Amino acid sequence: MTVALEYYVLLSIALFCIGLFGVLTRRNALMFLMSVELMLNAANINLIAFAFYHGNLTGQVFALFTMALAAAEVAVGLGIILVLYRNFRDVDVTVPTTMRW
Amino acid sequence: MAVFQLPEWMALAPALIMAVTALALFVFDSISPRSTNRSLLAGTAAAGSLASLAVAVWFSTAGVGTPTIDGGLGEIEPIHGLVVDQLALYFMIVVAIVTALVAVASYDYLVDHAYQAEYYSLVMLAATGMSMMAAANSLVTIFIALELASLPSYALVAILKDNRGSVEAGLKYFLIGALSSAIFVYGISLVYGATGHLYLADIAAVIEAGGADGYGSLLGLGILMLIGGFAYKTASAPFHFWAPDAYEGAPAPISAFLSSASKAAGFVIAFRVFTEAFPVAATQELIGLDWTIAFVILAIVTMTIGNFAAATQNNVKRMLAYSSIGHAGYALIGLAALSADGGELVMGAAMMHLLVYGFMNTGAFLFVALAEHWDVGRTFEDYNGLSAQAPVACAALVVFMFSLAGVPPFAGFWSKYFLFTGAISIGSTAMLAVAAALVVNSALSLYYYSRLVKAVLIEDPLADRGALDQPTGLYAAIIVAAVMTVALLAGFGPIAEAATDAAAAALA
Repeated sequence: MTVALEYYVLLSIALFCIGLFGVLTRRNALMFLMSVELMLNAANINLIAFAFYHGNLTGQVFALFTMALAAAEVAVGLGIILVLYRNFRDVDVTVPTTMRW
Repeated sequence: MAVFQLPEWMALAPALIMAVTALALFVFDSISPRSTNRSLLAGTAAAGSLASLAVAVWFSTAGVGTPTIDGGLGEIEPIHGLVVDQLALYFMIVVAIVTALVAVASYDYLVDHAYQAEYYSLVMLAATGMSMMAAANSLVTIFIALELASLPSYALVAILKDNRGSVEAGLKYFLIGALSSAIFVYGISLVYGATGHLYLADIAAVIEAGGADGYGSLLGLGILMLIGGFAYKTASAPFHFWAPDAYEGAPAPISAFLSSASKAAGFVIAFRVFTEAFPVAATQELIGLDWTIAFVILAIVTMTIGNFAAATQNNVKRMLAYSSIGHAGYALIGLAALSADGGELVMGAAMMHLLVYGFMNTGAFLFVALAEHWDVGRTFEDYNGLSAQAPVACAALVVFMFSLAGVPPFAGFWSKYFLFTGAISIGSTAMLAVAAALVVNSALSLYYYSRLVKAVLIEDPLADRGALDQPTGLYAAIIVAAVMTVALLAGFGPIAEAATDAAAAALA
């Protein structure tokens, strides 16, 4: 028994919205990163479900690339969060406000 | 016909040279990690980007990408998903020019900096990504190239590790970048869901053949999310708010690099995706909306926000950052005009503007780098009376400012003029509104650009400064940028022709 495509899309939209909600409400930079990961994984679910639906492997292969890029992005992001902590003694994204308007 | 036949993968040489240079710098760094041999490192980076520039110009004049009917060699597609045509070569040239200027200027900016080799190799890697973006014609390669350009940029913005401004800028740039790339990749997944393809030409074929019927809303949402990703990369509304902070906090040569090369690269993928993947009429039938309307609105909003915010700034670097948002709005006109007859003229004009902008905006940011090198301060008042002490650099600044504002006879005037006449000649209500917005905003921009000119030329210094030195690299880069901003006037015919040809070939 296969699960109908629309349930996958619903799941991925739900995951995307949870991620977006996290991005908009969390103040901790690490939580922000995790929320972005949720959004990227929502896209991966879509890609894999659609690849199954269309019967070609393009989407699945692209999902692998997305995972690798997400890992690279997190590596750079953690580095930036580390220097953020060293300079501001905090990982709260609302603390660095030396530049406004 | 060429006398000898190069293998097909060599068509990507402009990007490959950048990648090899980056790797060479990494190797050098791993052999002698503590080396601060600035001339060797900056020289390697500059030589690499100049070689890339030379190869791209050679290919472009030798007829790579020119349709075979016109006696060229035709588009070359070395790998499925990467194509080298006129559009790609044109933007590879823009990226290489900016990279070379930035590499030369960084020679002086990075005095006493601990991470020399890392800096240059990150610049070259980002430039590789931008060159690849110019050639990518599948959503997979576009996304990977975009990330290859973005990830080193995040690190570069935050590279002054002990400087709070730089770290804050890096954080903001990274957070917005991560968010927008998540949105972008979700958009890709929706477009894939609606059409079953990631290769741009295949997407268009499916849309035109009616294979995506019934998935109009999915496709429409996907296109909207893709536009979000492009807006981030080109620093246009609604994803522009990272730009002022990132440009202000970043080392000034990196601000120059991001605001010129990165913006041009963002535009080339937008041009390619929207000319190749989403044919206007068929897509409109499917999603019930003409996507060029979105760009008409974005163009007007972006140029208005950018210019009005720039007019209120006291910090010179921040003013340039907002002006860079305004210029993204001007270039967006090229996308807004795509549906109409004569759209290739406007798109060509937008491409010209991005090339000219590559010189004048890079030069302007490099002048800020020079001011930071002198440590004169950041506001307009701090720049008062600089011309008495540094006449040559200030003359160059005057050229950049008037060219950015679009005052004849500088190159910035001509690209805006072509944008304006192109939009007027299409004559639809939307294009007339865009053209009117262009004129109003240009007039407003003259106010804040000439404010800087007035500060530098006319006002008296607030306090006595010591003698100002003349750093060779920064001066060389600024003077080359200024000379090219003026000299482009003579070469504008061929450039206009190349840009319009490339746009016409992309639209065909």
